[in-house]
Amino acid sequence: MIEAENLGKSYGSFTAVKDASFRVSPGEIVGLLGPNGAGKTSIMKILTGYHFPSRGRAVVGGCDVETDPVGVKAAVGYLPESSPVYGDFSVGEYLDFVAAARGIPPGSRARAVEAAISECGLEKMRKRTISKLSKGYRQRTGLAQAIIHNPAILILDEPTAGLDPNQIIEVRRLIRKMGDEKTVILSTHILQEVEALCDRILILNEGLIAASGTRDEIAARLKGGQEYALTLKTEKSLNREELAGIPRLAAVESFQELREADEPARQAGFKLYEARVSLEAGAEGGDILFDWALSRGLRLRSLTKERYSLETLFSRLTGEDAKNERGGENA
Amino acid sequence: MRRIYPLVKKELAVFFNSPIAYVLGAAFIVFMSVWFFFLLRFPARNVASLRGYFEIIPMVFIILIPALTMRGWAEERKLGTAELLLTLPYREVHLVAAKFLGPFLFLCILMALTLPLPLTVLPLGNFETGEILGEYIGILFLGAAALSIGQFSSVLSTNQVSAFLLGAGALIFFTLIHYAAEASGVPSFLAAVLRYLSLDYHFDSFRKGVLDTRDIAYFLFICAVFQYLSVKTLVFRKWS
Repeated sequence: MIEAENLGKSYGSFTAVKDASFRVSPGEIVGLLGPNGAGKTSIMKILTGYHFPSRGRAVVGGCDVETDPVGVKAAVGYLPESSPVYGDFSVGEYLDFVAAARGIPPGSRARAVEAAISECGLEKMRKRTISKLSKGYRQRTGLAQAIIHNPAILILDEPTAGLDPNQIIEVRRLIRKMGDEKTVILSTHILQEVEALCDRILILNEGLIAASGTRDEIAARLKGGQEYALTLKTEKSLNREELAGIPRLAAVESFQELREADEPARQAGFKLYEARVSLEAGAEGGDILFDWALSRGLRLRSLTKERYSLETLFSRLTGEDAKNERGGENA
Repeated sequence: MRRIYPLVKKELAVFFNSPIAYVLGAAFIVFMSVWFFFLLRFPARNVASLRGYFEIIPMVFIILIPALTMRGWAEERKLGTAELLLTLPYREVHLVAAKFLGPFLFLCILMALTLPLPLTVLPLGNFETGEILGEYIGILFLGAAALSIGQFSSVLSTNQVSAFLLGAGALIFFTLIHYAAEASGVPSFLAAVLRYLSLDYHFDSFRKGVLDTRDIAYFLFICAVFQYLSVKTLVFRKWS
């Protein structure tokens, strides 16, 4: 449905997108995630036929963005970052204009406008002048414009930016509903948004795709394995080196003794340790840790498999951590 | 043609939805009327010709035309609606044609509104209706060329004010350039080129009510050049 090969975009001497290749299958909701300036908007502008790529090629809905931009534009519904609405028009007039410009024949135009209006919950705003609408309704008008011709592909640039929490929930509900039958690409820098909406994530950083996949896939690739948090109870003291005996251990992330004085276990003469360890990919971590603790005469007080929060992944891939990791590789 | 009808309709709706159109229209009609009766002292001259009345049109267009076209692309870019237009299933040439036809139809309406003036004096003297008709046709050709220049100015600008100033500047240049040909020391071939470029120079025969195909060709040529430049600029922006 959407195919991008080695896409690149430069504005003068500034390179916004360095090299991005990805595919989006029909019916998928894909989130482009990245800090500001990562190249999200540039990629979307290429996929909508608004810009030509400087390098590489993109095929959207069977049409090449360079040789058949009109075909691409016909297949795509696009909501740019700032809602592209005419303030002087009423919601109804505006949508009627877009429907006509999209080539919907006069006979079915009114029906298309009505469908978009009800889909986006704009029934009460039909006659209102757009400049008098709240930000949320304006955004919905923009969304209605994008779906009016029932496109197979929807490209939404920060669809919830600037909305209040209730409106955000509304718009997300709408997008999810549309995602049932359409291919959707949306960009955001809000992590919960991709969590809430997307089947798949493309994390962009400095014009490159830093990672792609579902959250768990990205987490697995990033760490190469799984992370576990465990609390150990023992009569003897334990030091960090002893954890090296855990089979298939990848790394000890943290290790510390718990010193809360009111802990009943401590009062009974036990020592408590908290550790975070990651194991190699594919290891049955729970069993391994349980057996290891048993063999060492340690009692497992708790054992949890950690799920990476998207925040952690994101900052690892795009933030200071990423720089450190890259620096480490170079050294 | 039928495909761009919604775009042209939208351009006109934008005009009529904003007060600018009414203010401009009213100012134009009032000015032309004042010019007609007062400045020209028409009844006192005892000449049954409207030549002097149309004399002023190229000068009026220097202000009027950029005011009609300044919104065009500059405002769309500022509001972000250019992104909508350029992602609708049209080629750039369609968009430019629509942005030309909208203001052109508006200009036609304005000119139609000035018709009562000559019509009221028609029975009073021995006017040549053919001459007046020629003058009106000439005005529409001149207007089309000026609108194309104005649209290109708007394509190049990011806000209405600079679009207006650029358009007015360009029209001053293209209206008055033939005066430079009169200056001493200009080689004759250059003088010919300068004269050829001038909107006012080519409007001259229309003023006399003569429809000269060379002048029509010139106005169409100016339309084509500036609309081509507008289209190319829009396409070039996709690359840059």
